[in-house]
This record gives sequence, structure tokens and C-alpha cells, in this order.
Amino acid sequence: MTRFAVLVAIVALAPLVLRYPELETQILTFGLLAVAFNLLLGEMGFLSFGQATFNGAGAYAAARVLIDAHAALPLALLVGVIAGAITAAAIGALAITGRGVYGVMLTFAFNEMAYYAAFQWRDVTGGDNGLSGVPRPGIFGVSLADPTHYYYFTALVVLLAFAAVLRVNGSPFGAVLRAIRENEDRARAIGYRVRRFKVTAFAISGALSGLAGGLYAGLYRFVPLQAIDLDTSTNIVIAALLGGTGSPYGALLGAAIFTVLSNSLSHVWSHWPLIFGLVFCAVVLFFRGGLWSIAERWSRRAAHA
Amino acid sequence: MSGLVEVQLLNGIVQGMIYALVAAGLTLIFGMLDIPNFAHGAFYALGAYVAFTVVSSTGNFWLAIAVVPLVVAALGLLVDAVAMRRLARAGHVYQILFTLGLVLIVQEAIVLIWGANPTSVNVPAALGGGVPLGAVSFPFYRLFLVVAAALVIGVVWIALERTKYGAIIRAGIDDPEMVDCIGIDVQRLFTIVFGIGVGLAALAGALILPIRGGQPSMGNELMATSFAVVVIGGLGSYLGAVVGGIFVGLTQAVMTILYPAASEVAIFAAMALVILIRPQGLFGNR
Repeated sequence: MTRFAVLVAIVALAPLVLRYPELETQILTFGLLAVAFNLLLGEMGFLSFGQATFNGAGAYAAARVLIDAHAALPLALLVGVIAGAITAAAIGALAITGRGVYGVMLTFAFNEMAYYAAFQWRDVTGGDNGLSGVPRPGIFGVSLADPTHYYYFTALVVLLAFAAVLRVNGSPFGAVLRAIRENEDRARAIGYRVRRFKVTAFAISGALSGLAGGLYAGLYRFVPLQAIDLDTSTNIVIAALLGGTGSPYGALLGAAIFTVLSNSLSHVWSHWPLIFGLVFCAVVLFFRGGLWSIAERWSRRAAHA
Repeated sequence: MSGLVEVQLLNGIVQGMIYALVAAGLTLIFGMLDIPNFAHGAFYALGAYVAFTVVSSTGNFWLAIAVVPLVVAALGLLVDAVAMRRLARAGHVYQILFTLGLVLIVQEAIVLIWGANPTSVNVPAALGGGVPLGAVSFPFYRLFLVVAAALVIGVVWIALERTKYGAIIRAGIDDPEMVDCIGIDVQRLFTIVFGIGVGLAALAGALILPIRGGQPSMGNELMATSFAVVVIGGLGSYLGAVVGGIFVGLTQAVMTILYPAASEVAIFAAMALVILIRPQGLFGNR
């Protein structure tokens, strides 16, 4: 609980310290994507390379509703959530027919399919040009036109979603996901309908990703084709791993660091992905718990001292 | 017929042979060594770029074809020795993640060394010109590519299925401890297989260079299609990878004639269909 309180305090104070509300909003939406990914990998043990598919589905759906129906923002986000959940449930149901590596490859391949579908379906997605002119309506009479206002709105939504994830992890449902991660056959033998749990986990992860997509569409009033491409899926994987998959806090931390670094380092040295790749490989080889586990070890040592 | 349809179908087979080479290596490394190599596309891209350097400095395309698989395979073996074996105990997820980091490194290294702009080389003079086909002509080099790829695929298959070394390798996969006990260095055999798999991808990159040129991201685009190929053919099945590759290449070509907008989506739709009807793939048996 204290950790969540610290998180709320950091999120609330961030715009007062760093005056880049748009970057900070992007950290939150990308953080939500990493947390959604981590629900699958950290809890259930499924490495998904398809998270951008759900993000893109949510972003396009929310943006369409905002553009075509001038819908209220909460309604548009809800549409994004539903679009993400349905997409993820469908892809998840297909992907889990294959165990292990096979399933990973399927999420990868389906993400590429979704990318080409979005690329060709110009009437809906704007294709290569992206979907521009997305309105950002106010909420309950309060204008969200100011970037800081939109940041606080996003912060409220993302923190609620994050609290929901903590709740899911702590629930019996979360315990079953971890049982599947540790030994799928045993979970099945005990009598759990593993398939149903897996598809549900995908749907939840997709719902969160769709929410992040909707918030992103409102942030830049634009949905780029990149929202649904494989590079975005890969970035989500990298960010979550860097932060640590042992905890949703780790995924959030990784997303924050990744967003800040990719925004700042690209100005310093254009070939920064080279160093980033080396660091990532080192994390995989030597620090599999990610930054969060290192931070936890330090805090434990500090507590003993 | 003006020959245009035939040209399209032949192009489909050319592309299909490239998929077959890449997917065969991917499936060998996974099926035999149990290593999911998500950096396979990066080795393909490196193959194209190393070939570019060899051709542009010596002007000899044949030298490139011969040298490239060896150079890139050597690099692959380094990766295998440094990381893959160490990560075997950590499981597939971490092996995949390591190769993902490798993709970042290779792609950016290509931009750093060769630049971000596409590169290209001319078709070797001996293979210039074309074969008349109705009102049009089909480039001779593309026919050469199909024959060369088929030859290499066949030789590797015979080596694995019909020779003593192939038998030892297959035995080493079924029961590594037993083969080790007989006094055979299993690890060295696996190293050879890893090298062959990576070499096949690099060769594919070198062969496609005179047709498509090289782009730093060429490996990423190929990766998703290769996954579709091995899922359709059956993960771990050599024959499945080859047949799946040609099937996917032809599907793309046919869709380009019928409905170009869906030519990419069709591959993955076919993949989804295979999962639903025959989850182990057309030639898979697990």
C-alpha cells in the first residue's frame, strides 16, 4: 500500500518538477502498456509480441468514435477498452493453441498481420498517414485542452487501471495464472480450465492496452500507424524487461526509463539503439530481475542496516 | 496470355525459395537445438550487407556467395557460445529476449557501418539477360537463384538424412547423453548445426541482394513471414519449412494478381487457418 501511495505522490508531483506534461502523459500510457504486457509474462508466463495489436485496436476504435460520433471521452475510452479486449481474446485464443515458442511466434505473426491490415484499411485508419483530427473533448464541463489538465486526467485513469491490476494479481484469479506459469499441466490436473484462464488474461491485458491506446489518441489527437507496428510491441517487451517482470511497479519503472531515454538519447547520438541493445542483452544475461529487483535488494539491505 | 501471370508466379517461386532457405535454418536451429532464434532475420540482413561489401570491393559475386555464409555463421557461433548455451537453463523466454536485443544491435550496427540508405549491387554479368516468356522476358539471375537455393536445400537435407554425420546429429538430438557416452562430442555437433542454420539465412540474404538490394530493416520484415512459414509447415520440420516457404511465396504472388491489397494479410490468414485445422502444421508431428 505504501508503494502505491508513493506512486500516486510521484505521479501527482511530476508536472511540478518536470515541465513536459506531454512526455509525462506518454510515460503513463506507455507504462500502462508495459503493465498490461507484464500481466501476461510476469504473472502467466506468456511472452506476447502482440501488445501493439491491442494498443492499435483501442487507439483506432476510440479515435473513430471521437471523430465520427463526437462521443464523450469516457465513452470513447470504453470503446477502446472493448476493442482491445476483443482483439486480444481472439488472438490469444489462437496463440495459446501452440505452447511455448510456438505461441510467441503466433503473437508476433498476428501483429504483423494487424499492421498490414491497418496499413491497407485507409478509410478507417488513415493508413500510412495516420489518423489525424482526433478531437479531445472536455469532461464534466472541464476543458482538457491544456496539456497539464490532460496529464492529470490520464494520471487518474492510469492509476485506477494500475490499482485494478494490483487487485487482479492479488486475487484467486491471479494465483491461478501464477499456477499456470509454474506448471501448466498441474494446474490443469487440479481441475482449472487453463484455456479459459489464459484467454481471460489476454482479454484483460488487451483491455488495458486498448485503454492506453485511447488515451494516446487523445494525447496527440492523432493515431500513427506505428501504434500498431511490431517495433512498438518490441519496445513494450524491452521496457518491461528492463524494469523487471517480477512486479507491475517494475514494468512501470522500465516504461518510464525507456520513454525518457528514447526521447533524450536520440538527440545525443542517433545510433543509441546500439548501446540500448547491448544493455538489454546484458540485462537478459546477468540481471534477469530487471531494475526493480535491484532496487528491492537495495531497499532490503537498507532495512537490515 | 502475355506471360505476365507466368512472370508473377515465377517471382512467387523466387521469393518462396528465399523464405524456404530462411525458414529451413530457423526450423533446424529450433527443431534440433531447441533454440528459438528470433535474430534469424538479422543474420539474413547481415548476409546481404556482407555480400554487398564483398561485391563492391572485389567485384566478384561468386566469392560473396561462398564467403558470406561462412563469415555470418562464424558470428552466429560466437553468439551461440557466448549467450545461447548459457541461457539454455534459463529457458526459451530468455533466449528469445537475448536474440531480440541482438536484433537491435545488428540493425543499428548496419546503419552505423553501411548507412541507413538502401544499398544495391548489379546482377553478375554471367547471369545477366533474361529468358523470353511470351511477350516479356524473365531475368536469368532469378532462375539461377531458384536452382542454387534448391541445390543447397537438397544438399543439407541429404547431409542430415543420408550421411553418417547426419545420423549422429539426429541421434544427438534424441538422446544427447547417450551419444556423449559413446564418445562423440555432442556440443560440437550442435555448433555445426547452428552454423548451418545461420549460414542458410545469410546465403538467402546474399542471393536476394542483386534483386532487392539491402535495407537495415530487411530482416525484421522477413521474420514475421518466416514464422508464418514454419507454423504452416510445422515447427521443426525441414520439409515443412521448404514446402511452406514456396507455398507462402506463391500465395503472395497469386494474391498480388487477384487482390494486391490483401497480399500480405493473406499469408497470416493462411497461418490462422492452419492453426485451427491442423495445429501441428502441415508436416509437423508434435
